[in-house]
Amino acid sequence: MKRKILIHCGTGGVGKTTVSAARGLLSALRGDRAVVVTLDPAKRLATSLGLEGLGDHPTDLTPHLKVALQKLRSQGFDVPETVPGSLHALMPDTRRTFEQLVVDLGFSAEGAEKLIKNPIFEIFAREFSGTNEYMAVQRLHRLNRDPQFDRIILDTPPSRNTLDFLNAPKLLTRFYEEKALQWLLAPSSRLAAFGMHKALDALEKLTGGGFMTHLVGFVASLFEVQENFSKNLREVTALLEGSSTGFIMVASPAPEHVLEVSHFAEGITRRGYHFDGLILNRSLAHLGPLTGIPADPAWDEARRILEGLQAREKRGLEALVHGAGIPDPILLPELARDVHSVEDLVHVAMALDRSPLGH
Amino acid sequence: MTGAANCKAIPQDFMTSNDLKSLLNRRLLFVIGKGGVGKTAITESISRSLPGRVLWVSIEDPTRPPQDMKQLGANLWSLNASAGPSFAEYAELKIGARLLLHFFLQNRLVQYLATAAPGIRELVLLGKIWFERQNYDHVVIDMPSTGHGVAMFRSTRNFGNLFGSGPVHSDTEAMNSVFRDPAQTGIVIVSLPEEMPLQESLELKDLLSDLFPKNEAALICNRRLPELREPPASSQSRDAKTVGAASAEGATSPESAESALSPFALDSADYLWRKSRLEKENLARLWDSRGLRYASLPFVAPEVGREHTHLVETLAARLQALREETAS
Repeated sequence: MKRKILIHCGTGGVGKTTVSAARGLLSALRGDRAVVVTLDPAKRLATSLGLEGLGDHPTDLTPHLKVALQKLRSQGFDVPETVPGSLHALMPDTRRTFEQLVVDLGFSAEGAEKLIKNPIFEIFAREFSGTNEYMAVQRLHRLNRDPQFDRIILDTPPSRNTLDFLNAPKLLTRFYEEKALQWLLAPSSRLAAFGMHKALDALEKLTGGGFMTHLVGFVASLFEVQENFSKNLREVTALLEGSSTGFIMVASPAPEHVLEVSHFAEGITRRGYHFDGLILNRSLAHLGPLTGIPADPAWDEARRILEGLQAREKRGLEALVHGAGIPDPILLPELARDVHSVEDLVHVAMALDRSPLGH
Repeated sequence: MTGAANCKAIPQDFMTSNDLKSLLNRRLLFVIGKGGVGKTAITESISRSLPGRVLWVSIEDPTRPPQDMKQLGANLWSLNASAGPSFAEYAELKIGARLLLHFFLQNRLVQYLATAAPGIRELVLLGKIWFERQNYDHVVIDMPSTGHGVAMFRSTRNFGNLFGSGPVHSDTEAMNSVFRDPAQTGIVIVSLPEEMPLQESLELKDLLSDLFPKNEAALICNRRLPELREPPASSQSRDAKTVGAASAEGATSPESAESALSPFALDSADYLWRKSRLEKENLARLWDSRGLRYASLPFVAPEVGREHTHLVETLAARLQALREETAS
């Protein structure tokens, strides 16, 4: 079935942003009203797409796409003539999404101010490892209700663990389920109160005065909006688990990614999400034998590097398809230079189109 | 094929051996950078090329048991620093092995804070590294990738400010004073000669210089291709007009001629040639133009079956050679 939302996951450095942008472009060429949500693209990619300095608001790239198609046709490339759909892109502003969320959660003006001024909140908003992920999901949630779009392509923030993205809402849910935090506000039994008292004594010894006051204030603030927060978490989780959302992994075809890829595919499926396939980017398999090169040591070394990489890719692919049991990955050829125009992105989209899973 | 043979093909180095020597002499050496740039191999190579008692630290490697310590050589140890045990060790150090410690560590709020509170994990991990430095001549740390790595350093400042007094405050202050001291601590940013990693490294350098203004981070550009002569076949297979523009030096920017070409390579020779040229352009535009000094490490051709060993041996030989070169 066709998904409305496609989420691209993967570790950094595999070209996830380029793949997501190309996927959005391909959708527009097939008649979708597509929006690409991209985080932190390369400066040149952003500049060439007209995204530089742009924030939270979707920008219409359809006119740029039309011009690019014209240009490519005049250079003799075989590309579609028209854009039956439309293409928008945006870069979510985490801070702004956060502030919007605070309003949506129904904090009183006074309560919101108290929360934002709490030094623990300050650290939380900046350093909580799930903040970016969680805010991207919030932005997705809002876009999903925007009738302007019928296809949303999300490029997730780079993370060490590709499943972090899905864990972010769960981590926050855990916060409310954590009895210890509720005891902090009002211990439910004398024994608990005694243990808590002792532990807090020790904690206060380590941290000095003041910390406990801030902590209690912070926890109290979050419990003030528990009902709305839980509702939001349920909605977001339902959105990610629903059949209109698919997850795609972007990786490079190297043996060291095999474990990560199978871990991701298995983790996604086990949690009840929909795994929609694997894109192996930066493949060198399409390059033929190296011929017609000058005879010198530098080129000899370059040959050893290329052949070594190709041999490694072959082993990686075998391990993925046979070992990890992931059939029909899309192979995208490695680019010989950075993407710096919409035309370049059309080239990538066409390569994506030629592959079996490109629908 | 030896490491030295690879080195010859490496373009000019902008970091002198004195820079590198001074860097590698420091007791604490943090290796940081974007994911996939080769931090782990470089950390291992540095650890193996250093004299004296060396501790090579990885941070929460999921493939090893928490706080696992292994001896790898006569003078080389490897630690998988992990937040949970580090937290307990710190608590014991401060509270002492008393009943109170038991109450403290068994308390669910404390357990929750130790695992879920932002910044605490980072803080105790750095604390563990800071503490271990007393037992070794060198501690080399394979830091988490960019964002998480910076968050680790920032945690010391955050908590230093949050806790106005008490042992945590004074310990974070002490940690900070070691990290910002170039006599004791070095920070190495590893990058690749591609646009995004080079750009990100600049941003990372700025972030770090905010935290440690007097302890400038050093740059390493990893995986550099040898400098190649243009293959005769590549110009024939291209559009004559485009090639003409590209070779008219100074008249037209090579970039505008490039952009008329498909971003995909025609064949293997075209790929390697364009890639090596792009590398130089990227470095010139993003790093050289800012007058930055950096060391380059070669792209080590993968050797089937012993890729990792070969890579580490080659890089370690290269680092050793750089250390031993006499400054001219």
